[in-house]
Amino acid sequence: MATGDKLIQVRDLKKYYNKGAIKALDGVTVDIDRGDVMVVIGPSGSGKSTFLRSLNLMEQPTGGAIIFDGVDITKPKVPDASGKLVRVNIDQHRQKMGMVFQHFNLFPHMTILDNMTLAPIQVKHMNKAEAEKKALALLARVGLQDRAEAYPIQLSGGQKQRIAIVRALMMEPEVMLFDEPTSALDPEMVGEVLEVMKELAQEGMTMVVVTHEMGFAREVGSRVLFMADGKLLEQGTPDEIFGHPTHPRLQDFLSRVL
Amino acid sequence: MGNFIQLKNFEALLPYANMFKEGLIVTLLLAFFTVLLGFVLGLMLAVLRMSNFRPLLWLAHAFPRVFGFFERDKESGLLRDSGFLYHLGRFNPLSFLATAYVEVIRSTPVLVQISLIYYGVFSLLFDLPTFKIFGFISFNRFFPGVVALAMNSAAYLCEIIRSGLQSIDGGQTEAARSLGLTQMQNMRFIILPQAIKNILPAIANEFVTIIKESAITYVIGVQDIMAMVNSIRSATYIIMEPLLVATLLYFCICFPLSKLIAYIERRMSRGDRR
Ligand SMILES: Nc1ncnc2c1ncn2[C@@H]1O[C@H](COP(=O)(O)OP(=O)(O)OP(=O)(O)O)[C@@H](O)[C@H]1O
Ligand SMILES: [Mg+2]
Repeated sequence: MATGDKLIQVRDLKKYYNKGAIKALDGVTVDIDRGDVMVVIGPSGSGKSTFLRSLNLMEQPTGGAIIFDGVDITKPKVPDASGKLVRVNIDQHRQKMGMVFQHFNLFPHMTILDNMTLAPIQVKHMNKAEAEKKALALLARVGLQDRAEAYPIQLSGGQKQRIAIVRALMMEPEVMLFDEPTSALDPEMVGEVLEVMKELAQEGMTMVVVTHEMGFAREVGSRVLFMADGKLLEQGTPDEIFGHPTHPRLQDFLSRVL
Repeated sequence: MGNFIQLKNFEALLPYANMFKEGLIVTLLLAFFTVLLGFVLGLMLAVLRMSNFRPLLWLAHAFPRVFGFFERDKESGLLRDSGFLYHLGRFNPLSFLATAYVEVIRSTPVLVQISLIYYGVFSLLFDLPTFKIFGFISFNRFFPGVVALAMNSAAYLCEIIRSGLQSIDGGQTEAARSLGLTQMQNMRFIILPQAIKNILPAIANEFVTIIKESAITYVIGVQDIMAMVNSIRSATYIIMEPLLVATLLYFCICFPLSKLIAYIERRMSRGDRR
């Protein structure tokens, strides 16, 4: 699936807290190609969330570079085509990176339809009718077209997360970031969310997924990253990572989660 | 012993019923305008407190290049988030001043603040016109009363507004920003609509509080309920009964009002969709 076309290049990414006492990310270098389904695994506190959140600058990295679509978005200013220094507009780059959170983060004061159409209307200046048509089509895809007028509180966890995914898709992102999208769900709802993610992957969406669902990593992932202590200790295809883990930390981790 | 509560004393107050009415109107208007002005001031304070104005940031950025070894982590060469220049760079004078104002107001008695503002500011610096609103409210007393109470109330309203905004889960902002909404759009579409629910009842409660606290403005001659009680007492030498009437008046406004607010608040939080 991977085309070899680099979408995001992460270079020596660092995120320190408490004056460097906590190294949440300690020099991570990785390429994310278009069409990649990059699954990030690792023990708690290893920096998986920090890595994901740094990709769209929810966290400002302490050091390193994130080159997205050829632009280093960690720099306040970059040279444009003519070599002139221009401000990096992070809002513009964030539109191209959809994000799905563990706790859904739907907007509780808006209907599902408004949740989905707000950003396209306000940010992309799409007209309302067009945005609603698009939203209904996406809702139909995840089997929730009849809940368009419902409020988030009226939905189950699995439904909320499916809504959160299509809400992000409304912006037609180039990459989708998932931070433990099924961890807050009752077990019987995990499947329906993973199913949507799987379909998305099959359509060729570039995805970075932090998850504890090893089955998903194995089946859907094109590459797996293993992180520990803020470092990227091993990466490879699911077969390599799960079949022939080399790093002792990874072997130890897998023996506990599988 | 004329101090005992007697029916005939209440009867003696009947000719003064109009004074109580005027006092009541003054008290209500005083509280209303105080909350109005207090809200505007409080909002400004809240915006200042939450602002991100760091005029000295360039120092932290500029000087490490000169004295690199001070502010850079030796091991990694990265800018450290510590040290004198770092803290200087993070200094926000607007937020500092607003915070100082809030803390001073909250740590001093209203009586002192009102006296300071009336005698210190209005008597000395301004010559207010002496006309009467509705024919019985002396502007040159009422206006300083509103300003003084509002300056006090603004400190509390600032905190109400601030905590209302901060009570919204950080995930909301993250979701909004990840969709590409700007900080302003996030405020307008996501944070404010949700925060209003927490803020409005608190502001209404502040209104009730001010109805009670405004009694203190009789010391600067505002003709509110309490001032009327005092002047009736000196005219009739009846002490207890005017006070009881005043008690009843305050209670009859404040008690139902705060019950009503609590009721509306409950109804709104029932519809809280989370
Ligand atoms: N705002 C913060 N302030 C201080 N330390 C933080 C902060 N955010 C994260 N950390 C620390 O950074 C490290 C990495 O955290 P992170 O949330 O990225 O881990 P994770 O791999 O996502 O863990 P989990 O599986 O529990 O979600 C942890 O040690 C955490 O305590
Ligand atoms: Mg995490």
